[in-house]
Amino acid sequence: MTGSLIDFCKQLEPTSLKLPEPLLQSAKDGVEFQQHFPSTRDEAWKYTRLGRVAALILTPVKINQSPERLPTSDTIDIVFEKETWQCNEPLDGLHLKFSGDLDADAWNACTLHGHVQHINALTAQGGVAIHVDANTILTKPIRIIHRLQGENTAVILHHQLVLGDQASAQLEVIFEGTSENSYANVLFDFFIGAGANLHTDMLQQIKGTHYGFHTQRIYQQKDSTVALQTLTANTHFTRNEIEVFSQEEGTHTQLYGAFIGRENNHIDNHTYVHHMAPNCTSDENYKGVLSDKATGVFNGKVKVYQDAQKINAYQSNKNILLSDQATINAKPELEIYADDVKCSHGSTTGQLDQHALFFLRARGISEAKATDMLIKGFMAEIAGAVKSSHIQEALHALLD
Amino acid sequence: MLKIENLHASINGSEILKGLSLEINAGEVHAIMGPNGAGKSTLASIIAGKEDYEISSGNISFDGKDLLELSIEDRAREGVFLAFQYPVEIPGVSNVNFLKTAINEIREHKGLAPLSAKDFLSLVKQKSALVDLDASLASRAVNEGFSGGEKKRNEIFQMAMLEPKLAVLDETDSGLDIDALRIVAGGVNALKSKENATLVITHYQRLLDYIVPDFVHVLYDGKIVKTGGKELALELEEKGYDWIKSAE
Repeated sequence: MTGSLIDFCKQLEPTSLKLPEPLLQSAKDGVEFQQHFPSTRDEAWKYTRLGRVAALILTPVKINQSPERLPTSDTIDIVFEKETWQCNEPLDGLHLKFSGDLDADAWNACTLHGHVQHINALTAQGGVAIHVDANTILTKPIRIIHRLQGENTAVILHHQLVLGDQASAQLEVIFEGTSENSYANVLFDFFIGAGANLHTDMLQQIKGTHYGFHTQRIYQQKDSTVALQTLTANTHFTRNEIEVFSQEEGTHTQLYGAFIGRENNHIDNHTYVHHMAPNCTSDENYKGVLSDKATGVFNGKVKVYQDAQKINAYQSNKNILLSDQATINAKPELEIYADDVKCSHGSTTGQLDQHALFFLRARGISEAKATDMLIKGFMAEIAGAVKSSHIQEALHALLD
Repeated sequence: MLKIENLHASINGSEILKGLSLEINAGEVHAIMGPNGAGKSTLASIIAGKEDYEISSGNISFDGKDLLELSIEDRAREGVFLAFQYPVEIPGVSNVNFLKTAINEIREHKGLAPLSAKDFLSLVKQKSALVDLDASLASRAVNEGFSGGEKKRNEIFQMAMLEPKLAVLDETDSGLDIDALRIVAGGVNALKSKENATLVITHYQRLLDYIVPDFVHVLYDGKIVKTGGKELALELEEKGYDWIKSAE
């Protein structure tokens, strides 16, 4: 029997967000119905064990309602550190708020799915709500930094980004720091208006025995475009869940990911794209490099609803295992109810190309450097899709 | 420069080289010809250091050093260059970046400072012209999307950049049309000097019209069975390998 979900929630604080009553009730019902953390018999958790998470003794970090001011810089900075949050002066057309200050109406469009989202709904202690007015093209990128630290902490945040019609924004989301025996459950809702364009690069790089759960729920309206790059590097335990709801015609969604694991790292990427409307495209490309005893999971699901004709959904997952003891579990899934769609998916896992390694060494390059070059080359597609120079540098440093 | 003595080598238990001896001096061009399966490519791979082969006896010295004791990269740094029969495509690694790394690793081995970006780029310009390689190919990923001819020209371009003492050309003529063959051979000839040597491995005499050898060796069943001047290649072309086989 896995640990008790009810007891786990009891050691946390009730949410400080004003979620609509039906949503809260459904989260409560979900926890009470499930009672326990899912076991590996649950399809969604088949390769990710939650026993250690259930056993964590945690103190929730309560976030102050009012932000501290940061000096103006080249980016719109939002920093979460211990119980504080900080931000600098927003631009015209950009509004920042504490997510706990939003009315219940602001969360009406949310859906709930799975125990990670249930825990978040019941116990989130804050977050940032970013609103970009319609027709606003943000001239600076927004950068959200989570500096995790301390032992036995539970950081539970619920952010929201609302991009008005025809608006455009670039976002960087960073998780960094060192934290032991700790838990984070950070949920991000993206409401993307008609014709709007969002580019998001995310970096997860936390040292220590930290258990990180990251959820992105993306709701896309007509003709909107979203590109989300998720980079996870050398984290003890990470579970990423991305849910895309393509609700109207003409949307494009790009989900790229790179995960690098070593030692006993466990990195799990779950994506779920709901194609609910016709004439939309999605493009998924995840690449993993695992060494030592690291384990990785890739589960990419695409569901094409009955009326969603002319969908073009592409999915690729490639992995390199650098040791005999590293493991990857890859599962692409397609669920198609429309009859005029183009969907493809593929997954490959192998070792480093020995011919290429020999070729580079035969030109005088050391084995270690040749290995680095090949891994960098393997990740180049993903790195090339990252716009944030900060995250790009971090990725290069990781691969060197 | 290169001295191979009584080399025996096998892969997966089957013996490919059965007592091969060969000596190459600076300033010389040697050609090795032979039928399929004679061990030509095995010899090239062993000189470069491919680890799939088991050397049961014999030795290879290169400039007085025991070549078999050196790692793949150290052989290259000492001046051994293998032009691959099948050049490898490496997506995501740019040709220029790869060559810069290679040159600077070799320079470091020789105790030289890394090449400045300016000097490196002028070298790229100069050497790519030698094999008529489009400058845009230099900045693309290694061999990715290159035609067969471009891949082989890229090999000679790398050779020009790295300036090896001993260049081993493993069936560089395979898959080349006559124009590409001329360009590749022209590049090899331009790089020839009194200090370096070339070992050309080929099936056909055709390449030797362009790269004229001082010595031609016939490799058959793991051994060099005949050595002669450039006229031996013509004789082989005319009479075929059966002539050698029946002479055994």
